[in-house]
Parts: sequence; structure tokens; C-alpha cells
Amino acid sequence: MSLKRVGILLRRELWQGPKNFIFIWAVIAPILISLVVSLVFGTLFSEKPKLGIVDEGSSQLVAMARELPSVTTKEYSTDSDIREAVESGAVDMGIVLPEDFDNSVIQGEETEITAYIWGESLAKDRTILGGTIASLIRELAGQEAPVEIEAITLGDEVSVPWSDRLLPLIVLMAVFFGGLFLPALSMINEKEKKTLDALVITPTTIGDVLVAKGLLGIILSLVMGIVILILNQAFGAEPALLVLVLVLGATMAAEIGLLLGVLVKKTTSLFAIVKFGGILLYAPAFVYLFPQIPEWIGMIFPTYYVIQPIVEISQLGGGWPDIATNVFILAGLNLILIVVVILALKRTKQYAV
Amino acid sequence: MNLRIIGALISKDFSLFFRNRFFALVTVLGIVAYIIIYFVMPSSVDESLKIGLYAPVIPPVFEQLQEEGLEIEVVESDEALRQAVTEGQYVAGVVLPDDIMEKLMLGQKPQITLYFASDTPEEIKDAVGVMVRELVYLQIGQPLAIEVSEEILGPDMIGMQIPPRDRLRPLFAVFIIMVETLGLATLISEEVERRTIRALLVTPTTVRELFAAKGAIGVGLAFGQAVLFMAIVGGISSQPLIILTALLLGAVLATGIAFLISSLAKDMMSVMAWSIPALIILIIPSLGVLAPGTLTGWVEFIPSYYLVDTVHQVANFGAGWGDVWYNLLVLLGFNLVIVWIGITVLRRRFR
Repeated sequence: MSLKRVGILLRRELWQGPKNFIFIWAVIAPILISLVVSLVFGTLFSEKPKLGIVDEGSSQLVAMARELPSVTTKEYSTDSDIREAVESGAVDMGIVLPEDFDNSVIQGEETEITAYIWGESLAKDRTILGGTIASLIRELAGQEAPVEIEAITLGDEVSVPWSDRLLPLIVLMAVFFGGLFLPALSMINEKEKKTLDALVITPTTIGDVLVAKGLLGIILSLVMGIVILILNQAFGAEPALLVLVLVLGATMAAEIGLLLGVLVKKTTSLFAIVKFGGILLYAPAFVYLFPQIPEWIGMIFPTYYVIQPIVEISQLGGGWPDIATNVFILAGLNLILIVVVILALKRTKQYAV
Repeated sequence: MNLRIIGALISKDFSLFFRNRFFALVTVLGIVAYIIIYFVMPSSVDESLKIGLYAPVIPPVFEQLQEEGLEIEVVESDEALRQAVTEGQYVAGVVLPDDIMEKLMLGQKPQITLYFASDTPEEIKDAVGVMVRELVYLQIGQPLAIEVSEEILGPDMIGMQIPPRDRLRPLFAVFIIMVETLGLATLISEEVERRTIRALLVTPTTVRELFAAKGAIGVGLAFGQAVLFMAIVGGISSQPLIILTALLLGAVLATGIAFLISSLAKDMMSVMAWSIPALIILIIPSLGVLAPGTLTGWVEFIPSYYLVDTVHQVANFGAGWGDVWYNLLVLLGFNLVIVWIGITVLRRRFR
């Protein structure tokens, strides 16, 4: 193998790569998915009832509502704005506070507020919002709570937010989408256009070609893995260990990509295989998505050994002793995959190895 | 136009479409996956907060409470309540002390204990605390000096909420229809690149027949799959004619977009490069059904909005022709423009 030739080939791949649709999608898709997940699970699928307020004066109640953890508060400037928000379901309930509302409440005067309720809002949300507004008004009026409440938490199961549960899936997608697709597609494209035949007639060996294509996959995969962890604020703890795991994960992705590139002849077949086989790559992420699934099921799949150390470090605060075994298994799997790629190349008898 | 030629072209395209393993797999697996997801999702909406109550003496307010959205069930013992909360039977458990009434009458503050499962979200814990406090206020007769004038906007859906899976129906229908743009655009662009289109036009086949055949295969595939899906998930049980009209117009829209994409793309990869951004844009309106209130007025510039809104209004609210005629008219208008542009630009590529 010639490092110089590998370097030249890699430079060509890096130059041609960004013009490829898959390269662009390997970069855009994980970022897009990550942003959508944080939007969807941060706000859209939140179970908090949403309260809209129009304050015609300058009521303290608005600031008090904003501080509440049980309700999402949005402010609107006019009656028609809040009606529109309630009609569209942007808020479950909208209230209009009249001018001098606070003084009237403090002095105990009879006051009227208008409440718009979204027809599709859930009964429990209406109840929570009604109770919350009443409680806020009592607080504003200076009424002292007639009871003392003690909250006791039972059991030791911790609630894991959906955005956290989805992180392993997003990381796996970031690492494996480009890392696998790019080398595979590049190989298949070269085979379809017969440029690979032309290339191996020169002193360049098939090994040089595979290493260059694999390196491209590893670089893209590694960069995307780091970007996604940073975007999800999960790169802070033990960055060196995370990079080590990501390098090994990216290597696995590139090796699987090269294996497919060697075995598959047509782009359409590659898409069909990845579409069907993708579930095997992403399966371990479902163990984190649904904690009810026993962890041993995840261990059956090779990508578990990529994602377990990442989750252990970034979400559970683990260190080297917690991930060492799985990192060694991952490195072992990578070595096995190298042998499998070589064997596949020999078996297909397409090029001298 | 020669119907025999169009028929032959359709059957050729149909077999070519299913010869492409990727599209064949996506078509079949797509429908199966959507149907499975639909039936796996909950078929009802739990609207109430179920709270368990253990109280040796139950205050009248707690006993007589008949508020929608709040279900209070009395439990035999403190231990049973803890067990039920841990098992997730109740969202919270409330324990009232046996001297609660006496203390309240004396103006003292009784202590109420709330049990929550460890995975209960903070907002629910806070909300239950607020509601229990409010009930005690009611018990001691401290009403608020506030008069609330309530107005419910839109149909009041209490007790008949739309289950999440039915909110997903328009999304799936649009997805099924729009994914067909990929298949049709690939078929056309590959024919253009391989010059088989030119070969066809040397025969007695006219450009008009060619477009009729491509249009029919595109509309047929998209419409057929969408109807099959909607029929299986019960989406056409209410006002079937409107739903079928909307799906047909949606299929025509997908065909027009496929014409446009195939005029730009050279192979399957470039079809995907153009189609996926188009697909993402066309799916955006369905998010408005999934999470109401998240989209603003600009969504009405996306043609698929009129398809999604029609399917949602009719399948989930039983809307009639009078409610959705405007949507269908706008969708038809979009179709005419998009199909005309698609045919015009694609025709140039044939030459």
C-alpha cells in the first residue's frame, strides 16, 4: 500500500464528495433531525398546558405565570391575537386581564376576566389551567395558603426526557449515515461507471482505493458525531474518550460501507439493503428509547458497543472503567470487519487483493 | 390520442417501476409500516388526571367534586395508595390527615401529603399541588372575587378528542402520495437520460400520449396506495367522496411535481437530491395537524396544506363539501399551474 497514492485518492474523494447528494445529506440530515427532535420534544410534545395572556394594564400576574413550572405561558398584545392563538391551538386557554387588575384583586373588588378556551384542549389541561389561574390570583391578593403540602416521591425510577432517549439514535444516525453510505456509494458508483477498473490498471491497488474511501467515511462520520454531541450539549464530559469511541464507531461504519461497496453492484440495491438492514444498525438505540426493553437485546447488535460508551460518558457521567470492556469489544469487531472486507474482496474475485 | 398506446406505455412503466428494487421495497414496506404504526398508536385520549385519595375523614369538597378532567378515587389505606401510585395507577396520591376538618375550622394549617411516582414530570407534581390547595380554599369557603366569562373557540371536543393516530392519518396519506414523486421522477429522468423517450417518439407515440401515460401511472400509483391506506385505517368512512377527491387531487399534485423534478434530475441520486427537500416542504402542513398552533399563516402557500386540511377536517371532524370546497378549489388551481409548468419544462428536455 502506498500512503502517497492513498493521500491523492483521499484528496480526490474529499474534492468530489461535497458535490455528492449523500455527502450533503450526511451532513444536513443529522443536524436537521437533531434540531427537529429538540423542537418537537422540547416544546411540541410537552404535556404542559399552554396559557396565553393579554395584559391590558401591567399586571404582576404575567410575570408570576411565567415562573410557573407546570404551565407554558405566552403573551399576546391584543384580544384578536389571543383569540387567533386559541382558535389555532397555539394555547389551550387565553385570558384577558383588564386594566388595573392587580389593584382590584388586592382590594377584593369584583373583577371580570375573559377566558377563551380552545375546543380541542384536554379536560385535564383546562382543570390545571383553571386551578393555576385561581392560585395565581390568590397569591396576587396576598391570601395565605390554608394547608401545608408535603410531596413524597416513591420508587427510584428516574424520568428520562424523550430528547435524551433519542440522543443515541441521532448519534448513531450521524455516525453511520455518512460513514457507511459514502464509501459504499463511492465504490458502487465507480463500479457502475467502470472507473474502478481503470484505476486498478494503474499502480494504484484496490487496497489503496478502499483505504482512501474508508478514510473519507471515517472523517465525515467522526466530524458529524462530534457536531451532534456538541449540538446536544453532550460533548462536555471526557471529550478525549468520546473522540476515541467516535473514531472506533466511525471505523465500523466505514468498514460496513466498504463491505457493501465490495458486495453490491447497483445503487438501487444498496438503497434497498440499507433500507431493510438499517434497522439492525439502529436497533440498540431502541433499548434507550424504550427502557422497558432488556439491555441484553441491544448487546446482540454490533452498534451497541458504539452507543453504550457514548451514552455512559455523555449522559450518565461514566469514565474509562465503565466503558473499557465495550470499547475493547468494539475494537475487536472492527478488526473482524477488516478481515471480512478482505475475504469478501477475494471471494468476489473482482480485483487482486 | 390512442388509448391502446397509452395502455401499453402504462403497463411498461408499471413493470419498470417494480423492477427497481428500491422503489418496489419502499412502496410495499411503506404502506405496511404506516399501517402498523397507525394500529400500534393509542386509539383513545386519556383526558383526566386520576388521583388516589386516602382520608379517614373526607371533606365534602373532595367528595362532591365533579370536575371534568379530574378523577378522584378513594383508596382503603395509605399503603394501598403508595402501591397504586408506584404502579402508575394514579398520577398522584393525596393523603388527608384525620383532623383536617377540625384544623381548618380552627384556622390552623393541616398538612397534606402528596405521593408521586419517581418518573412523574415536575409540571404534574406542581399542578396537583395547586389543585389540592384550591380544593381546600373551596372547602373553607374562600371564593375568589373574580367573574370569569368563558368562551370556547372551535368545536368543544371534551369527551371526543381526536386520538394521536387519527391526527397522523393526513401525514401518512400525504407521505404516501408524495413519495411517489420519487418513483415517477426516476422513471422519467432515466428514460430521458437513456434516450428511450426519443426512441419512443420515433414510433407513432405522440408527446401527448406519453404525458398521458406518465401522468396516469403517477396518479394511479399515488392515488391507489393512499386510498388503500385510508380504507384500512378507516379514513374514508366519513364522506368518502370528498376524501377520494382530495386524494386524487393530491396524486395529481405529486405527478406535477414529479414532472418538474424529472426535468432537472439525471438519475436516481439527483432525483432524490431534488425530491427530499420538496418532500420536506410538502410534509410541513401535516405537522400543523399533529401539533396544532405551531404553524403560522405562511403554511397556506404550500399546496399540500389544502390536501392535509381537507383530509383532517373530513376524516376527524366530519366536515362536508360546504366546509372544504375552497380547499379543493385552491388545490385544483395549484395542480393546474404545477402540472402545466412540469409538462412545459419536461417537454423542452424531450427535445
